[in-house]
Amino acid sequence: MSLYKIKKATNCIIESVPTQKILEALGIRKGVNVRVLVRQPLGGPVVVRVGQRDIAISSEYAKQITVKEVV
Amino acid sequence: MHCHNEAKTPPETGDIPKILLIGNPNVGKSVIFSKLTGHEVIASNFPGTTVTYSSGKIKLQGKQALLTDVPGIYSLEAASKAEEVATNLLSTGADALICVLDATNLERNLNFALQLKKYRIPIVFALNMMDVAEQKGIKIDALVLQNILGYPVIPTVAVRNIGLSELLKKTFAGIGQVSSIEPQQGFSSEDRWKEVGRITSMVQKLEHRHSTFWERLGDSMIMPIPGIFVAILVVLISLGIIAGGGRVLRAAILLPLINEIYAPFVSGIVSSLVSEGILRNILIGDYGLLIKGIEWPFALILPYVLLFYIVLSFLEDTGYLPRLGVLGDGIMRRLGVQGSDLIPLMLGYGCAIPAILGTRTATTYKQRLIVSVLISLAVPCISQTGAFIALLGDRSVLVLLLVYFIAICVIFFGGIVLKRAIPGQSSTILIEVPNLLMPNPSAIFKKIWIRVKHFLIEAGIPMLIGIAVASLVAETGLLINFSRLLEPVVVNWLGLPPEASLSLILGVIRRELAVLPLLEMNLSTMQLLVGSVVSLFYIPCLAVLGVLIKEFGVKVAAAISVFTIIFALFFAGLINQIGNFVMFLL
Repeated sequence: MSLYKIKKATNCIIESVPTQKILEALGIRKGVNVRVLVRQPLGGPVVVRVGQRDIAISSEYAKQITVKEVV
Repeated sequence: MHCHNEAKTPPETGDIPKILLIGNPNVGKSVIFSKLTGHEVIASNFPGTTVTYSSGKIKLQGKQALLTDVPGIYSLEAASKAEEVATNLLSTGADALICVLDATNLERNLNFALQLKKYRIPIVFALNMMDVAEQKGIKIDALVLQNILGYPVIPTVAVRNIGLSELLKKTFAGIGQVSSIEPQQGFSSEDRWKEVGRITSMVQKLEHRHSTFWERLGDSMIMPIPGIFVAILVVLISLGIIAGGGRVLRAAILLPLINEIYAPFVSGIVSSLVSEGILRNILIGDYGLLIKGIEWPFALILPYVLLFYIVLSFLEDTGYLPRLGVLGDGIMRRLGVQGSDLIPLMLGYGCAIPAILGTRTATTYKQRLIVSVLISLAVPCISQTGAFIALLGDRSVLVLLLVYFIAICVIFFGGIVLKRAIPGQSSTILIEVPNLLMPNPSAIFKKIWIRVKHFLIEAGIPMLIGIAVASLVAETGLLINFSRLLEPVVVNWLGLPPEASLSLILGVIRRELAVLPLLEMNLSTMQLLVGSVVSLFYIPCLAVLGVLIKEFGVKVAAAISVFTIIFALFFAGLINQIGNFVMFLL
C-alpha cells in the first residue's frame, strides 16, 4: 500500500522506496518502522516519524513509497 | 615509520592547517563556528541556514588553524548545490575535520560520519545537543562511541559553551593523526546502515519518557488543526509586536527626541555657522542631510528593523518556520515552489539579500528564480515597511492594509504565472522537521545584534547617499528638469505631483527611499495608494541588484529590474486610472 494512503496515527513498515539519495539519508529506507503523523491538505506532504525525528515527505514521493501496516 | 598514525604533511595551501566543520544540516555547526572563531555568522534552527562557506581563524596556545564552516549536507554525493560546495572542499584537502553529530538523531548522523572516514582525514566528533537528547530520554556513551569510531568524541552543548574548549584541544591535537582503524572498503549503503544500527544499539539507550511540553506543542503545530490557528496567531502576534511596538518607539520616543531636541539644536548651530544658501539647505533644508539623514534611518526605519529581527530571530531559533513550511506546502505548490521556500520568502520581509542567498537550498533553478523574482517584485523589506508605516500609518491604515493585500495577491498570482512561464521542474518537499526548542537568550541577542549592526552599516550609508542625492537635486534645481522629463509618466499616468519623480530616482538606490520623499508632498489618499504601489513593486535596491547579478548573471538581473520597473509603473497607473474613472462615475 502506498504511504500516501495510510491513515494518520498508523504504524507501518516500509517495503520499498524509490531511489532518492535524500530519502535514504533521512532514514526513509526499506524495513524501517514509521508512524504516519498527518497528511497535509491541498496535496501537501505526509509527515512521518522515523526514530526520533519527523520528516515531511511530498505527496509525489509518498505515492512511490510502499508500506505495510503494523497491527 | 609507516604505521597508520604517522603525521601527514599538510597540503600546500598557505602555512596554517585547514580544518573543515562538517555535518548534517541543522546540527549546530554555525553555532560552534562562531563560538570557536569569534566570527559573526547567523545560526538558526532549521536546515540550510548556511548556504555558502565562511572561514575564520581558531587559536590555541600559540597555534593557529583556519576553520571553515561548511554547509550542512545529508550525504557526500553532491546532489544539491550545498553538497557540491562541501564535497569540493573535502576533495581539495583538509588537515582535520570537526564533524558535528546531533545527539537527538544519532543513527542518521552516524551514517554520515561513517561516509566521512573514507577520506582518511583526521576527525574530531562533536556530539552536540546533549541537553536536548537528555530531555528526550536519550543516553549516549561517548567513550564507547569514541572507541568504535577511532576518533575523539566530545559531548557538547554548543549554545551554552559546554565541551567547546575540549573540542578545540582535541582538534589541534588531532591534526595529522589519521586513525589506525581502517574504514571498511567496498561498503554498500545497506552495509553501512547495518553498521550504523549495530553501533547505535551499542552506545545509545532510550528511556521512555512522557513527551515534553515542547514536543507536544511542536507536534500540534504541524496538524492542520490547530496548526492553522497557531500560524494565524503567530503572524498576528508578530505583526502586533513589530507594528505596535514600532509605533511606540517611533512616535513616543524617537520622533520627539529628534524633532524637538536634536533638529532645533542642529539647525541652530548650522544657521549660525553657514549663511543662507544652497549649502545650508543641503545640510538642514527640506532634504537636509543632518536632519533627514538622522530622522529617516534612526526614527522611521530602525525601530521596525530592530523589532522585526527580534521576532524573526526568535521564530528561527524555535524551529517553528519549517513547521509553517510543512503546513503551507499545499498552497506554495500552486506557485511553482514548495513549503520550504516559504522560509526565504519570509526572510525577504526583513531584507531581500539573505532571502535570495537563502534560495540556494532550493534544489532546482526554476524554484530559485521564482522565489527571487517574487521577493524582488512584491516582498517589501523591513526598511520599506517602516517607510510605509510612516507614510500611511497616521493618514490611512486602510491604504496600508490594502498595499499589503495587493502585494500578497501579486505574490500569489505572480507565482502561478511564473510556474507556467519558467521552463524546468520544481522539486517537491522533503524536509526534516527540527526539534521545537526554547531559544537560547544569549544566542538570540547576538543574532539580533549582528543583524542590526549589519543594517546600520549596509543600509545606513546608502540611505545617507540617497538623502544627499535628494537634497542636491532638489536644491540645485535638477529635480525640476527631471520632473519635466518624467511628467508624462508621473503626472499624467500616475496622477502624482511632478516632484514625485524624486521617488523614482531614489528608489533605485534603496527601497524605502522610494517611499520617504512622498512624506513631504501632502498627497491625497488616492495618491498615497498609487505612490505606495509604485514603490512596492519598483526595482529592489542597488545591493539586491548586485546579489541578483551574482546569483543569476547580468541578463537575468537586468530582466528582473526592467520587469519590476515596468510592472510598478503600469500597475500603479492602472489603479490611478481606474480609480479616477470610478470617481468620475460617482
